[in-house]
Amino acid sequence: MDTVFAIADNIITSLGFTSNENFNALKNNISGIKQTTDPKITQVPMYTSIVDSERLTTEFSKIGNVDDYTRLEKLMILSINDVLNQTKINPSQEDTLFIFSSTKGNIDLLENPDHDFDLERINLWALADKVCAFFKSPVRPVFISNACVSGVTAITIAAQYLRSKKYTNVIVCGGDIISEFTPSGFQSFKAVSENPCKPFDASRNGITLGEGAGTILFSTNKELVKDENPVVFRGGANTNDANHISGPSRTGDGLYYAIRNALAEAEKTNKDIDYISGHGTATPYNDEMESKAIAWAELNHVPVNSLKAYWGHTLGAAGIIECIAGIHSIKENVLIKTIGYNEHGVSEQINVIKENKNTEIKNFLKTASGFGGSNAAAYFSELNAD
Amino acid sequence: MPTNSLNMESSISKYCIIKPNEVIVDGEIQFTNAEESEFGAFMKSVYKNYNINYPKYFKMDNLCKIAFIASEIIMQGNEHIKETDPVKVGVIMQNSHSTIDTDSKYVETIIDKENYFPSPAVFVYTLPNVMIGEICIRNKFQGENTCFISKEFDAEFLTEYVDALMNSGKIDACIAGWADYTESDFSAIMFLVEKNKENKKDNISFKPEFIKRLIE
Repeated sequence: MDTVFAIADNIITSLGFTSNENFNALKNNISGIKQTTDPKITQVPMYTSIVDSERLTTEFSKIGNVDDYTRLEKLMILSINDVLNQTKINPSQEDTLFIFSSTKGNIDLLENPDHDFDLERINLWALADKVCAFFKSPVRPVFISNACVSGVTAITIAAQYLRSKKYTNVIVCGGDIISEFTPSGFQSFKAVSENPCKPFDASRNGITLGEGAGTILFSTNKELVKDENPVVFRGGANTNDANHISGPSRTGDGLYYAIRNALAEAEKTNKDIDYISGHGTATPYNDEMESKAIAWAELNHVPVNSLKAYWGHTLGAAGIIECIAGIHSIKENVLIKTIGYNEHGVSEQINVIKENKNTEIKNFLKTASGFGGSNAAAYFSELNAD
Repeated sequence: MPTNSLNMESSISKYCIIKPNEVIVDGEIQFTNAEESEFGAFMKSVYKNYNINYPKYFKMDNLCKIAFIASEIIMQGNEHIKETDPVKVGVIMQNSHSTIDTDSKYVETIIDKENYFPSPAVFVYTLPNVMIGEICIRNKFQGENTCFISKEFDAEFLTEYVDALMNSGKIDACIAGWADYTESDFSAIMFLVEKNKENKKDNISFKPEFIKRLIE
């Protein structure tokens, strides 16, 4: 089976416009979460993580006309552009596929009718077409909208395409923006934390939402690989709780099956995991469920973190930017502490990372869970990890 | 994704097409919208016609309703699927307009700050994969489940992806198809796909050329 190399990546969040800026903030335990009272986002003061709009305009104006693209399109195009600048692939050729993940796409166009964009752009496929047209891609893109697991699933599907040899390169890009739509919905669920979120902590009481975009270029072309010991995708899977459309399983069964199937595809066992990049939304039920799934998979001892207290829950971007952080944890041999975690607050004794730690990391497991009962898991490791 | 010739082919055990004027099951027009009822009334008459009994249906949004009804119709007579390993049964769907109908209704509840009433019961239906969740809950299916957004129903894409999942061993059976709902139009195309059974003579291959013939 062809090896699926992670060639290049980009993260755009409140913490910066490149993967390095973001990962440096993570290493310094800097959070991008701030309180907002912007009435276009929330009717009550709320903590959230927002991309710097001025910088977005400045950066985008270097490559395109800012008025021609929505906020999310600009984020995605900038993110992909940075990845392409790191490599020599040509996205206008037939051997490169784009896969997108987003939950709500250009939802701001529906909320604020006062704009010049064609309303067709509210459609997720139209968003993808617009981004692909910027890069002159001749290939029909794939779009995944699977709630909070979209990003991890998009990565798994990218690998399937590469292994089928249909494409040599796949660019996976995920993103979502913060408008009033998503915050008001989570507020109506009473699921938004009054303070910055506290994953796995005893006093956690909800999520902090964030916005951003992330892109990974995967390829089977060895010539694109720059690292001596590159990170490769090994396996992924996706399952459903079949329990409730908005609440996670009480037992963690669905997430456990996703972990089991991802490890099976990767031909790995629970002995082969140095680090788990958890979902850790900091809702009482999600984190409890995750702890049960991790315990069920007999991974209690494995260091696990949630990065949600750094850049919030970025929905369609989350799985992708958190996998990128995992890739950088492997490259830099550092585990990032879970900001907000002080007192253990889940029933299973899982090993939540409390302080940054420099230690050899050869691989990681990424997990995600979301509305609709979806769960996803993906496993990455160094090429020469075995 | 292309599959090599050594792989087992999958076949369609049953399929259902719902259009504004009729319900087609395995090629036969089984129910027509003779009174040209609007969506809600038409779906309710289909629900009754097929003796569906699932009170949660009445809480669903329109996209979930049409997807759910199509899935119920293809599961009738195929109860054996529920006896297999639930993690080996997938639900893979395509959709064009995501949840635009419910998104618009939800926006109505937040646009006027004097009359501000966002509801979790509406908000939860603003994700297109929730229709998959509803089908999974109903049937206790726990396998691969992904919602793809595509401008139009894309038989090539769907068959390739489901074949890849089947051949990877992740699933043995799958509900696969399309459901879309907007204020002005709606449609569902849903297949129950299983690995070929040797003793079955009239397998309809889950291949784009066959599917295109079925939905013409």
